[in-house]
Amino acid sequence: MSTKKQLFWGLLFMALLMPQAVSAMHIMEGFLPPVWCVSWGILSLPFVILGLFSISKTMRSNPRLKILLAMAGAYTFVLSALKLPSVTGSCSHPTGVGLGAILFGPTAMTVLGLIVLLFQAILLAHGGITTLGANTFSMAVVGPLVAFATYKLVKKAGRPQWMAVFLAAALGDLLTYVVTSVQLAFAFPAETGGFAASLVKFMGVFAVTQIPLAISEGILTVMVFNAIAAYGKDELKDLRVSFEGGLNHAR
Amino acid sequence: MIHIDRYAYRSKLKKTDPMQKLFFAVLTLGMCLWADSNVISAAVLVLMGGITVFRGGTSLYFLMKLLAIPMSFLLVGVLTVAVKISEDPGIMLVSLPMAGVWVGISQQGLRDAGRLFLKALGSVTCLYYLSLSTPLVDMLSAFKRIGVPKLMVEMMGLVYRFIFVLFETAETIFNSQNSRLGYASLNSGYRSLGGLASTLFIRAYRRSDELYTALEARGYDGELNVLEEPYQRHWAGYFAPLAVNIILIVITLFLRQYEGGRLG
Repeated sequence: MSTKKQLFWGLLFMALLMPQAVSAMHIMEGFLPPVWCVSWGILSLPFVILGLFSISKTMRSNPRLKILLAMAGAYTFVLSALKLPSVTGSCSHPTGVGLGAILFGPTAMTVLGLIVLLFQAILLAHGGITTLGANTFSMAVVGPLVAFATYKLVKKAGRPQWMAVFLAAALGDLLTYVVTSVQLAFAFPAETGGFAASLVKFMGVFAVTQIPLAISEGILTVMVFNAIAAYGKDELKDLRVSFEGGLNHAR
Repeated sequence: MIHIDRYAYRSKLKKTDPMQKLFFAVLTLGMCLWADSNVISAAVLVLMGGITVFRGGTSLYFLMKLLAIPMSFLLVGVLTVAVKISEDPGIMLVSLPMAGVWVGISQQGLRDAGRLFLKALGSVTCLYYLSLSTPLVDMLSAFKRIGVPKLMVEMMGLVYRFIFVLFETAETIFNSQNSRLGYASLNSGYRSLGGLASTLFIRAYRRSDELYTALEARGYDGELNVLEEPYQRHWAGYFAPLAVNIILIVITLFLRQYEGGRLG
């Protein structure tokens, strides 16, 4: 084996085996070129505005919800800072995207997700201000929408509740990182092969490594959801009544 | 739990008008992204880091520790950018044949990756300057003045205040679980974390309910009004960042012309 090859394998294993390499997968500050920062920001804007209007509408009919929604945002933030035990030994952080989308509905989750991402950038140094648009799109728009749609579809197909929750959380998590890979591939197309070649690279690094973590998150979400269903029946019932697009639609 | 917040409150720059700090940070950040040059990125890194440490009084050690947080993402991301697929192994520094093509790292790729690395570090220092000198409450008042929707700012304020309450609850639960070997194995780890997350949710829900009742009893009408602390405002606060950035832009343009001339 030539030195070149040895070095290559060494670097490859270093990248793959680096502990914690899979945690905090928001695109960091300064990583995206300005064009893409602005584009993804503009792309997420309509969803955020939609979410804001939906929240303010629900709030007018039930002012108690403002406090509840803020508490939900704080809950998502705290959840994302917890360490998730993972099969590979490295630890990761749950995104909470699936749980939030099922409990509060995808539109409310967009606004909450944006706030959580901003706070993560400022308070925890995960993510960034210029990449806020891109991260919002992957984590607060696509993730919740996919999770919510999956939940509804699986329930409609007559499958058990746990399976719906599991698939919603796992797919919501996974799709978030697929979108992140797509965003990175758009920003850094390969010289030969362009976008497609670059996408394969980024998918391999950011999405494939995420599969075990998506499964972990799915399992955890099922456990949390079951526990909430068992011990927090009244709260769930209230949620169902109060959030349009939340659980009431899913039932 | 949240150290950055604590440092922000202790910063010597805390009393400065948050609008000025936001203006400085965002302007420099945008400039750093636009310039996309090693020299400028390094200059921004030193400048913003220097201001944070010397003017703000944050310890250099803590700033270094913060810079290490995004390092895992940065290294993985930069390496992925550096790896190229090509049919010609000649351009590669290190490469490996894979299904008829060569996968490896070229000199150009390495140079791009290095520039991206420095640029990201420079920009992240701008973010740290802001978050280490401006407590979130001050930042929210600046957001309000820029024209972010009122509902959004209010939600942010509420979320910010609840975070600490929930963090404390989560930490207490985690400690008691951990001291009873709740995280000793993977299985029990899952069970414990599931318990933690669900209990936290139910607690958060009840707490928000109680809070609303308490607020309503005190005449809450849908708005929480708090007094703002007075800030030091002076037009020079806008002038200095502007001057610094103009100088950096001029340097960038000069460098570009120089490099362009050399290449052409």
